[in-house]
Amino acid sequence: MTQIAPHRTSHVLQRVITFVILGIAALAIVAPFVWIFRGAISPSDAELYRLPPTLFPSSITLDNFRKVTTQVPYFRFILNSITVAGTITIVQLVTCSTAGYAFARLRFPGKNALFSLVIGSLMIPIQVTIVPLFLVMSKLGLTNTLWALILPGVFSAFGIFLLRQHFLSLPRELEEAAKLDGAGQARTFFQVMLPLSGPAMATLGILTFTYWWNDLLLPLVMINDTQTQTLPVGLVLLAGRFSTGSLGTIAAGITMAIIPVLIVFLLAQRYIVQSIASSGLKL
Amino acid sequence: MTDHTAGGVDDGSREAAIIAARGKKDPAGRGEGFAALGFLTPSLIGFCLFVLAPAIGVIALSFYNWNLLSDGMFIGLGNFVRLLSDRRLAEVYVSTTYMAVAILLVNVIIGLLLAVLLETKMPRWIRGFFRLSFLFPFVVSSSAVALIWRFLLNKDLGLVNYWLGLIGIERIDWLGSSTFAPISVIIVASWKTLGFSILIYIAGLQSIPNEIREAAIVDGANGWQRFWRITLPLLSPTVFFLLVINTISSFQIFAEPRVLTSGGPGDSSRTIVQYIYDQAFGSFDLGYASTVGITLLLVLIVLTAIQFRVSRRWTFYE
Repeated sequence: MTQIAPHRTSHVLQRVITFVILGIAALAIVAPFVWIFRGAISPSDAELYRLPPTLFPSSITLDNFRKVTTQVPYFRFILNSITVAGTITIVQLVTCSTAGYAFARLRFPGKNALFSLVIGSLMIPIQVTIVPLFLVMSKLGLTNTLWALILPGVFSAFGIFLLRQHFLSLPRELEEAAKLDGAGQARTFFQVMLPLSGPAMATLGILTFTYWWNDLLLPLVMINDTQTQTLPVGLVLLAGRFSTGSLGTIAAGITMAIIPVLIVFLLAQRYIVQSIASSGLKL
Repeated sequence: MTDHTAGGVDDGSREAAIIAARGKKDPAGRGEGFAALGFLTPSLIGFCLFVLAPAIGVIALSFYNWNLLSDGMFIGLGNFVRLLSDRRLAEVYVSTTYMAVAILLVNVIIGLLLAVLLETKMPRWIRGFFRLSFLFPFVVSSSAVALIWRFLLNKDLGLVNYWLGLIGIERIDWLGSSTFAPISVIIVASWKTLGFSILIYIAGLQSIPNEIREAAIVDGANGWQRFWRITLPLLSPTVFFLLVINTISSFQIFAEPRVLTSGGPGDSSRTIVQYIYDQAFGSFDLGYASTVGITLLLVLIVLTAIQFRVSRRWTFYE
């Protein structure tokens, strides 16, 4: 017993240290959000700046949220963001799954060269090509329309690669059986392979949607008209329209941007965690 | 197959279908070729229009003096010569590299520490809570994150300085001094991406077979030895993956410095993507902005190539 006791105290100490470190890290992540939510329902800015900060405001008001919607076309921003991120996600699920399948399973001339080209383009981020992309959109007359934000997302090297890896992991016997049953390439793909791809498609869908929902650069470059703007730029516009004086309104704007994300995040957490983890393992 | 015959389908027609199916599958694979064409066309169109054409465009534009109002004038290597004498570009590259390396290290080192701690024994719901809290900022837009921190880091009214004041540290001008502005960008960008790195680490940790760890315990290795001799080598592909993607993404940072500090004071927290944006849409110097874009592309390619080469030496694959 005398030998076990010091071992046990060091073990307890270890666990305490573990929880203290994790706890501090979690607090540093969660506290700023709590502070912003609290600011959004506080009646005056003075409360946000009151030191030391209190957890609950003296009274609760929804006035800040109303101010947000009267100052900027906030619901328009949300609608635009959903349209852009949603369309890109749906389109990418189609283009990346078909292309990924072709690269994984079909034999055709020039396959390796084409695939190298796709992988090579992973190295060319949109930040590099933004200037000619802007010129292309402006020549096509698409700047200041949501098309300018949607079209650049149609092709995704990352998505093709992710789904190619997935299709490679499915057993070949499945397709052979389908072919034997007289199914053509299209039917094999849509009725046999795609139904087996739920988790991989969810992975791509979640990563794509988050990326384009949060993108700031493209809308900043392509869109000049407030009505066509997306949420990330909308927030910056909202913050720019006020001096630091009306923090409550900005806090309400941020809260309104975060709440839908939080709800989706909590509902789909298991998928999100899995999808990020698997994207790391598959690359 | 037996299911179908048992279901009463006429055996003769079934036979015919198999023969037909075999007939379709021609040995030259021409049918597959057509199918592949159909499957690839949407991606190929997108690739040509929105990746290939702009990529060629960047190279072409870099030889022109081009502003938004008039079409360009060919100036040969003029823009590339200008690169060499551009003092600001050098400064922006220094600050971008400084911030990118710091963000990278925070993600790779602190991410590993937190992931290892998260994998120790604890109740499931507590682990779930930690994991979700760490990950949440990753799904929130950078501009919202940066706006929140713009308030928290405010010199006179921000909470960060208030808490630091409680432990006797004087007010820091987080966003307005050239020393602390890049540090603020590092803190905020790392705060947003850390959960992602932790999650990738956890996936890597969980893929290490338990038997190896148990064997080490039986052999009398303590926790410290197990970490350095077993966990870390087996985790090296994950570390490598995080190094590559964090390098690429940290060099592309745009939203955080733009919203937090606008790149200032001076160019102390300006990133290269911000510089491209400013040159193109602030000064309307599209040709030069493209030339700067090419330098970023080269940096990314070289960094990735180096990492792949170095990794061959120390990455341990089973």
